[in-house]
Amino acid sequence: MPRVIATIAACLLACPPIFAEPKPVAGDAIVVGSIGDASRLLPILATDSASGDIVGLLFNGLLKYNERLEIVGDLAESWTVSEDGLAITFTLRPNVRWHDGAPVTADDVKFTYEKLIDPSVHTPFSSSYELVQSVEILDARTVRITYRQPFAPALESWMIGIMPKHLLEREDLNTTAFLRHPIGDGPFRFVRWKTGELIELAANGDYFEHRPYIDRYLYRIIPDQATLFLELLTNGVDHTGLSPLQYRRQTDSPFMERAYRKFRYPSFGFTYLGYNLKDARFADVRVRRAINLAIDKQAIIDGVLYGLGSAATGPYPKESWACDPSVAAGGYDPAAAKALLAEAGWIDRDGDGWLDRDGRPFRFTIMTNQGNEVRRQVAELIQQQLKAVGIDVKIKVIEWSTFVHEFIDKRRFEAVLLGWSLSRDPDLYDIFHSSKTREGEYNFVGYANPEVDRLLVQGRQTFDQPERRRIYREVHRRLAEDQPYTFLYVPDALPIVASRFRNVIATPIGIGYNFIDWYAPREEQRYKRMGP
Amino acid sequence: MGAYVTRRLLSLIPIVLWISVISFGIMHLAPGKPTDAAMSFNPKVSLEARQRMEKLYGLDQPLPAQYLSWLRRTVRLDFGRSFLDDRPVAEKILERLPITVTINVVSLLLILGLAVPLGVVAAVRPGGPFDRLTTVLVFIGYSMPSFWVALLSMSLFGVTLHWLPISGIHSLDYESFGMGRRWLDVAWHLVLPVGITAFVSLAGLSRYMRSSMVEVLRQDYIRTARAKGLPERRVLFHHGLRNGLLPIITILGLSLPDLIGGSVIAETIFSIPGMGRLFYEAVMARDYPVIMSLVTVGAVLTMLGNLLADLAYAYADPRIRVGSPR
Repeated sequence: MPRVIATIAACLLACPPIFAEPKPVAGDAIVVGSIGDASRLLPILATDSASGDIVGLLFNGLLKYNERLEIVGDLAESWTVSEDGLAITFTLRPNVRWHDGAPVTADDVKFTYEKLIDPSVHTPFSSSYELVQSVEILDARTVRITYRQPFAPALESWMIGIMPKHLLEREDLNTTAFLRHPIGDGPFRFVRWKTGELIELAANGDYFEHRPYIDRYLYRIIPDQATLFLELLTNGVDHTGLSPLQYRRQTDSPFMERAYRKFRYPSFGFTYLGYNLKDARFADVRVRRAINLAIDKQAIIDGVLYGLGSAATGPYPKESWACDPSVAAGGYDPAAAKALLAEAGWIDRDGDGWLDRDGRPFRFTIMTNQGNEVRRQVAELIQQQLKAVGIDVKIKVIEWSTFVHEFIDKRRFEAVLLGWSLSRDPDLYDIFHSSKTREGEYNFVGYANPEVDRLLVQGRQTFDQPERRRIYREVHRRLAEDQPYTFLYVPDALPIVASRFRNVIATPIGIGYNFIDWYAPREEQRYKRMGP
Repeated sequence: MGAYVTRRLLSLIPIVLWISVISFGIMHLAPGKPTDAAMSFNPKVSLEARQRMEKLYGLDQPLPAQYLSWLRRTVRLDFGRSFLDDRPVAEKILERLPITVTINVVSLLLILGLAVPLGVVAAVRPGGPFDRLTTVLVFIGYSMPSFWVALLSMSLFGVTLHWLPISGIHSLDYESFGMGRRWLDVAWHLVLPVGITAFVSLAGLSRYMRSSMVEVLRQDYIRTARAKGLPERRVLFHHGLRNGLLPIITILGLSLPDLIGGSVIAETIFSIPGMGRLFYEAVMARDYPVIMSLVTVGAVLTMLGNLLADLAYAYADPRIRVGSPR
């Protein structure tokens, strides 16, 4: 009897926790549907999301986020930050190889840095590396990066894919053939790219974590949403993103329920109503707070996103460690909004239904960009909700380039409805620091709060995690108090994946973090042969 | 004849120059810059980085200077590099050309094959039952938005019946097929795009054919042909059609640039990587070198098409043969 128990115990320790779950097997292909084609398959030149998707599978960075949004090593086995925060030393994993067999070394890291700051290279990402003073190779596996001042977002910046020096040092990075035939070090290797049609990758048998179970990755470019959806209906695509309408109303047929699994998690980003703080009306914080109270965020989420989002209280989604859970969304309270507006002098004196002050009615225009149906609908709901408290809102929808250059950059707006999609690091220096208000910079609302300025700088210079959390939660609280934006909602990401793939798990970072562990049981595999 | 062709060819040069100046101007009047799409409103991309990129692409130069440098390169047949991915524009165009030309030639042949007989037969008895039936049918095709017809057909033939593929021009395992199977595979994928393009554009050509034939059949020489007892078939297709085809030749000449300009809508809906999508994406991204090259090539082809139509006309109709005959 004790022996039986011992066997069971050993099995419990050795086996995966669920006995019914079969062992992952290799094979099959996954067909991913994308609206856009990639443009350049090099980490420092990948500016569009399609290039980003592919580059992410071909190249690894020094660090990455795990499923709990913690920074962990990727190519780096370990890293240390010096006491003064000025130097970061990375130790690379031994035995990581490029797909051509050459080892990944500290030389490659230094080379990547040199290309990032090379003014002749067409990379837009150089700003994150401006504070670097030097990159020193200590030995083949160790590299020390020294900064002019402590810069905590540096860790995130080293998630950028490292590039192979031995293949690129004699090339012009802007035009090299490598851009269309990349050789990386990631879990997948490049096979072929038919422009506007298909990009094919194959599992890297030599990958340092383990070989991905899925043999082939086929990235199909299908530029039309409706076509992409028809392809889903015939199993022509295994994985893509859905719109809220498709998620709620068009993917509940018995076939879809059987063939696919849908996932839902908050995206990193938010939609907001931003005010021109130079406008005397919006300079008064009571007015901004009143508008926040007068907007029913949940009604917007239910009406426009079919409930697939969550009310925002500030710039961070609830999953982020920077989000202060004690900040309330402000609640929907039109009566309190009216009281606040009255306190600010906005009262309906002439009885025409609109608030007025100094003989002028409270009337302003919300501008948003063309081509985003969701934003237009949100603007219309806000228009109705503010009408209820006596504010007359007009809506103007403008083509994107004109909107940015003629109205945002030149500060010719009263309020704008826009969204930010942000990286996982909570640094908001570029968006809310008072120095970032030149034409073309991103604090276009003109927000200036010395205390927030101080916190944003301090947050950038602090590596200590508990301390950073304290700082950014404080930023969150201050922004919620000051309301330079009315933070409206955080939309959900809504991916769909063919149900034959197992080990697909929704986590705060999404579903892609363990892509190399996805597999299809042998009897359900659809694409039998290995790629050419 | 040779002198005439030379004169016509030379007169193309100032026209093409004007077209390029005007399109260059209009393109730059449109708000926005090539650096917008990828770089504006990304907090990771600083203002300085964007300005540096604009400088690298020469966008900080005054417009006339930008135009002249474009012209200098273009006369040497150097179309420059795309702002989007730094690839040579010529390479991007050549890569997209075959599929668009294939689709357009096949659908043009299909349209001609259907429109000419339809027009001729309808013209025999204008206002008769066959004429009315074809009028209704081709106008149904003409009036329906092509994207809508395309989506409905994809849904019917692709999703419900599983007869035809929905989108793309190759199966995923295309690379592993033999030669014969590859041809079949592409043909299979082109049934819907070609069929729908032909269906919605049948009306124009078949109506032209009909009215031109109606006109011709009223002529004296047709009466003469009939009077001398020729069989009706010979009257129609030998004496009638030969003259009735003249306006069609003009239209074909003018459709030469259409052969390389794909339809944005069809190519987008059917996920075909052709010229239409290239142009559309270039316009959306303000990819100036690609836009300018396509506009210039289009202008040159339009005028060559015009010239060809005129020459073919002269060949088909001795009355308007130009220059002094030998």
